[in-house]
Order: sequence, then structure tokens, then C-alpha cells
Amino acid sequence: MKQRPIFAAAAAVVLTSSILAGCSGGKTEQQAANAGSSGNTDTKQEAPKSNKPVKLDVIETGSGLPAPDQDQIKQEIDKAIGTELNLTVYASGDDYKNQLNVRMASGNFPDLFAVDRAQLKQFAEQGLLLDLTPYKDKLKTTVDFIGADSLKKGTQNGKLYAIAKSPQIPYNTFWIRKDWLDKLGMKPPTTPDELLEVAKAFTEKDPDGNGKKDTYGITGGKLGAFSPVFGAYGTGSPGNFYVKDGKLVNALYDPAMKDALAFIKKMIDAGAVDPELLSNNSTQQYQQKGIKGQAGIMWIDWPNVTKDEFVAQIKAVNPNADWIQLPALKGPGGQFEGSWDIGATPGMYAIPKVLEKNPEKLNKVIELLNFVSTKDTGSALVQFGIKGKHYNLENGKVMPTDLMGKEVGYSWLYQFTGRPEMEYLFVKFAKQAPYIEFANKQPRIQALNGFVDNPTGYNSADAQRFMDEELAKFVYGKRPLTEYDAFLKTLETSMNYKAYLDAATKQLNDLGFGK
Amino acid sequence: MVKGLEDRVFNSIVYLILALAGLCAVFPLMYVVSVSITPFAEVLKNGGFILLPKSITFDAYRKLLTESGIPRAFWVTVFITVVGTAVNLVLTTLMAYPLSRKKLPGRSFFLLLVVFTMLFSGGIIPTYLIVKAMGLLDSVWAMILPGAIWSFNVLIMKSFFEQLPEELFESARMDGAGEFRILWQIVSPLSLPVMMTVGLFYMVGHWNEFFQAIMYVTDRTLFPLQVIVREILMLTQQPLETVENMTPTETMQMASVMLASLPIIIVYPFIQKHFTKGMLLGSIKG
Repeated sequence: MKQRPIFAAAAAVVLTSSILAGCSGGKTEQQAANAGSSGNTDTKQEAPKSNKPVKLDVIETGSGLPAPDQDQIKQEIDKAIGTELNLTVYASGDDYKNQLNVRMASGNFPDLFAVDRAQLKQFAEQGLLLDLTPYKDKLKTTVDFIGADSLKKGTQNGKLYAIAKSPQIPYNTFWIRKDWLDKLGMKPPTTPDELLEVAKAFTEKDPDGNGKKDTYGITGGKLGAFSPVFGAYGTGSPGNFYVKDGKLVNALYDPAMKDALAFIKKMIDAGAVDPELLSNNSTQQYQQKGIKGQAGIMWIDWPNVTKDEFVAQIKAVNPNADWIQLPALKGPGGQFEGSWDIGATPGMYAIPKVLEKNPEKLNKVIELLNFVSTKDTGSALVQFGIKGKHYNLENGKVMPTDLMGKEVGYSWLYQFTGRPEMEYLFVKFAKQAPYIEFANKQPRIQALNGFVDNPTGYNSADAQRFMDEELAKFVYGKRPLTEYDAFLKTLETSMNYKAYLDAATKQLNDLGFGK
Repeated sequence: MVKGLEDRVFNSIVYLILALAGLCAVFPLMYVVSVSITPFAEVLKNGGFILLPKSITFDAYRKLLTESGIPRAFWVTVFITVVGTAVNLVLTTLMAYPLSRKKLPGRSFFLLLVVFTMLFSGGIIPTYLIVKAMGLLDSVWAMILPGAIWSFNVLIMKSFFEQLPEELFESARMDGAGEFRILWQIVSPLSLPVMMTVGLFYMVGHWNEFFQAIMYVTDRTLFPLQVIVREILMLTQQPLETVENMTPTETMQMASVMLASLPIIIVYPFIQKHFTKGMLLGSIKG
């Protein structure tokens, strides 16, 4: 007797859930059937092309995208190739990851989506990505646009799974307050030792003349602030792979690394470094320190110093402030402005395998990629906006109008295949051209990390955290540098770094580096 | 009654502590307000921190209200909040009321089902699959229906209903009222405090709606306020060469924070008085 209500309840639950399941099941089947049939009819009657625009779902990280009815770039693309593009951008990388994972797991694939190297490997191994190798001919415009090196970056086990954007150029250099140098009667430093001297003077000799000891020499984001110091000692930033004297080296194992760390420790001991250096997570944090006049040297990119809005801010705080770029320092290991990862790409886009069964859509995705890679039409559109409205052509030169910055500042979200970097920047930042050129032509160690896939069983986040912590201890004197080799041992064994080293060496050798 | 010196000292200390706690709450808000109406250069000149604005500009607000996606997102959020809260309250009441009746067959079993969902959830992917199967993807309903009932709120409501005297139900039944009539005409009017409290929980939840929008909606026109605000807050982390002259300054960020939180701040005091009564959860039984 007592059991009955429970049975009834259980029965009710089972019943409802089965009804629900029936409902949803029916619906999905129906949808699938619809999709299937429409796909079929379209492929059969390919000749009389349906005028209906093809819906394309694209997701990536980014922000600043306007709503579709105000999105002029989207409208132009839709018009040009007959699509109904639905681009969705996610401001945070984590949100994007969640969305992408859920959609890949639930079979609700976007038609084109951004991947990083780890995702590329994972999804390719799971067989979710379309191998683009057979479509190379169709993608010729795209392939020509991004270049052969970029093509390599989207490759896994000899198969092309993603389109990597055309490469970027380095932006970062040391920037230094020239007015502070002048005030203290010093010259721009050219060696690490001179850098130390200047940084010390900036900290101690009150360069802003307010009578308070409230300034620091160097600021920047974590140990990255010392990139040119590493460069001067001839080593890449910790963890970088590069070829030195014909051999493949990891920076941590470069004998020069210890010297570089010892020198950095000397700078920190001298009090010449922003004490919050290690907690500077975003560029904005240390950029503002520079603008506010709290530090006189920063390792930063040119946009953050020379863009109009920042120049205005700098002048508002201190009209005399004069930031100049510093050429690479000359040190015992040569003259390099840090390292630059030639394997890195500003982004990669993959196509899901299911599109194989939907040739109409697949063709449109390919058309889209080709379109944004076509110099005078699509590529110009996603770089500069609409001709005659956002820019004008004068003797073949792109002249931006005022509307460009106002209306299509988000156009980069549509640069699925990248852009010709220098030309693009010279148009958009004509005023900043000398700084761009300066940053670009600094000698740099060519790091190769972008080419390396993490082997299974190696957790790069954990290893990185351990590495950061221990290196911080070394340079802040919490752990003597004599224990450096012990640190490497721990890294190799408990962080599985050895496996990573071996895998990386093999992969890079296969690509022809260090042989 | 004349208070002794001891009392007065004690009271002053209490007031002092309360005042300090109050200030701790007010300072960040003041900072946000001040920065949002001060030109950014001014902020930087003051070392990045100001509590009272020296010069005032509403540029940031004007820009946000006219140029960004905020106005549209605002209306999406208002819709989700109003309709969503209504749906929540109706469904939660309909769930909580039967559970509060001791005579319900299998009551503890159903209660167990409710509590079970508080401890264990299906996870993101199954939930996504259900939302997809129901055809809710890319609609405002994806932000309303999946969270239509929060188990915790059901429990709050249930325990409030249980406190109503049993005699009330008996006499109503004597007069020939059915369960729906009792719920509608007797229980509901008496349950204003708990309705307000639970309603506010739901409302704040909807106003801050963010995760479900990120998960289930790809159509930008349906993004609620918080998604857009978050985007504005995160713009600074974008590669700078790309967002030419669009990087919002801290002024913009603070202004968007204000716009996103102001309505809730305004509503809160009106509902607050119902809180103590509505929030009792199984403590005292009359």
C-alpha cells in the first residue's frame, strides 16, 4: 500500500520523460530530414542556382562587432557572394572555448571557426575537422594570400586542417623617456649595463623633478619586460626554441640563460624595476604606469604609445613627456630585441567535417575565404571598409576617410585570412609609420614554438606556471641561481618537460630546423 | 529610560563599525560613478584614482547610449527580466504549493527530485542538447526557459507556504474552494513577502543574464545587456592595432558598469523590506 504513490509517481515521471524524449526526438529527426532533403535537392539541381542566400555560421573571439543591420562589412560580403553571414564573437577566450566545445560535442557545428594549436590537434584527432588538402586548388586564392609558411601552420600529420592567417610583424620594443634622460644628462642606453645605470638613475634621481622618490626605471608585463636583456645575452625568452650556431636550443638550456637571469636579478636588487612587475597582467596596467609618469622605460608595443588617444593622454598628464624607441641592446650574446615566434599565427580557422555532406555550404565557405583574400575586392573591404565611403583610392594609394575609424574599426573581425600587414598598417597608421618600421626592423631571435604541438601527457599550463614561479624566485633572490640545474631537473621530471623537449626537437627537426 | 554611559559607548562603537562598513560599500561605487563622469586624462593626472570628480562630462554615457549595442541589449534584458520573472514566479509557485501540502502522495519523492538537481546537474553539454532539441537555440526563450525554476527558490517558497496555518486551508475547503482557488485567492495574497523575495532573486538573475546568452545565442541582436557590457570591459585586451580609436577608456567602462547595475540598485530598496519575512527557511515554525 505504502509503495503505491511512489510507483504512481515513478510511472508519471517515466511517462512524461518518454513523451518529452519522443517530442524532441521527433523534432530533431524532422529537422535532420529537412536539412538532408534540402541539401540533396540543392546538389541535384546545381545548375539553376537558388537565389536564396546561404546561411553561414562563423564564431571566433573578438569584440566590437555591431548588430547585423548596422554591420556594413557583413552586408557587403553577403551581397558579393550571396551569403547570410552570421558572425558571432566572444569577448573572452574562455567563453569562446565553452561555446566551441559544446557545439563540437553536440554536433551543432559552426561552418567556420577559429582554433588554436591545441584545439586544432584535438579536433583533428577526433575526426571533426575537414581535411582541406583536396580543396587546395579551390582555395588557391586563399593559399596564395596567406603564403606557403602559413599553410604549414594549419597542417597536422601532413593534412591541412586549418587556414592560418598571414603572419604579423613584431610591435614591441623598449620605449624610454627622452626628457628624463635629458634632465639627468644621460644618453639612451645601448648595453645591458647602461640600461641598468639609466634605470637606477630613473628610480633614484627624481627624473620628474617633483621632489618625491616615486618613479621606477623599468616596467612591463612579467619577465617579458626584459626581452631585450635576454636578447642581448643571445637567448630567447624562457621556454623558446631557436636555432643557435646551427643547433636547436631551448632557451632554458642555453648557458646564457643563467647569465641573463643573474643580470635581471642585479637590476631588481638595485630597485630599478617596477615592484609590481610580476602582477602586471594586462598591457594596459603598465602602459598606464608609463603614461602617469611612474616608470621611464617600458617594453611595449608601438600602438600603446603612439596612437592618437594615448599621445593625448600622455600629453595631458605631462606635456613634456617624450617617449622614444630604443634600438636593441648590445650584449655579450649579440644584439637582439628579444625573440619573435615565426611559427605563431594571429589566428587559424577550421571547417567541420560534416560540411563534406553539404557541398553548397562548403563551396560558400571556400568562396568566403577566397573573397576575403582577394586583393582589390574582399581583402580591401575587410581591411578598410567600403570604397568611396570609408576610403578613396588616389593613384592606387588607399586614403582613409574620417568614417573609417568611426564605422568600420571592427573590420578586422572579418579578416579570416589575415592581411598584408605592412601595407595595412601604413594606411591605418600613416602617422605612426616610422615607429612601425623601427619595431619591425629590430634584429630578433627567431623562436620556433609556434610549430610545436604539445605531446600527450604534457600539461603546458602547469609547466608554464611552475617555470614562471621558479624563475621569479631566481630573479627576486628567493632561490640562489646555483640551484638552477636542480630547477631544470624538477621541470623535466615532475612537469614532464622532458617529454615536451623530445617531442619538440623531433617535430622541429622534421620541419628542417637545426639540421 | 536613561541610558547608561556603557550603553552609549557601546552604541557609538556599533555605529562606528556600521559606518565603516557602509563606507566600504559606498567607496567603490563612488569611484565608479566619479570615473564614469570624468574625462580620462583628468583621471590619469590624479594617478588613476578619484573620488570626487573635478570636471564633469557625460560623453561616455552619450556614446554608450547612442553608438554601442547597449540600447538594443537593454530592451532584450528588460524583456527577459519582466517575462522571465513572471514565468519563474508562476512556475515556482505551481511547483512549491503542492510540495508544501503534507497530503500530496509521494511528496518526499518529488522533494527528493527537486533537491537532487541542486546537488547534481547534467552538465553543460546535455543541457545544451536539450535546449537545442527543444528548438530554443537563438531565441530569447533560451535565456528564460532553461532556468525557469530554481530548486532553491522552490524550497524557500515551500517552507513559507508551510507556515500558513492549516486551519486556513480547512475553512477554505469547507466553504467549497478547490486547490486552485485556495492557491489563487488565499495563499497568493498572503505570500507577498516570499513572492517579492523570490521574485527579486529571479529578477537579479535575469538582469545579470550572461552565461545562457553566451551558450545558446549566436544572434547578436538578442544579446542581453551584460554580454555587451562585458564586451566593452574586455575591449582593452584586444590587439590594439586593430580597434583603431575604439578602445574605450576607463571612463567608458565605468559608465557601462553604471548603466548595467543602476536599475537593480534602484529596485532593491523597494523590495528589501519584504526580505526578512520571505527568506526564512525552516527556522521557526509557528
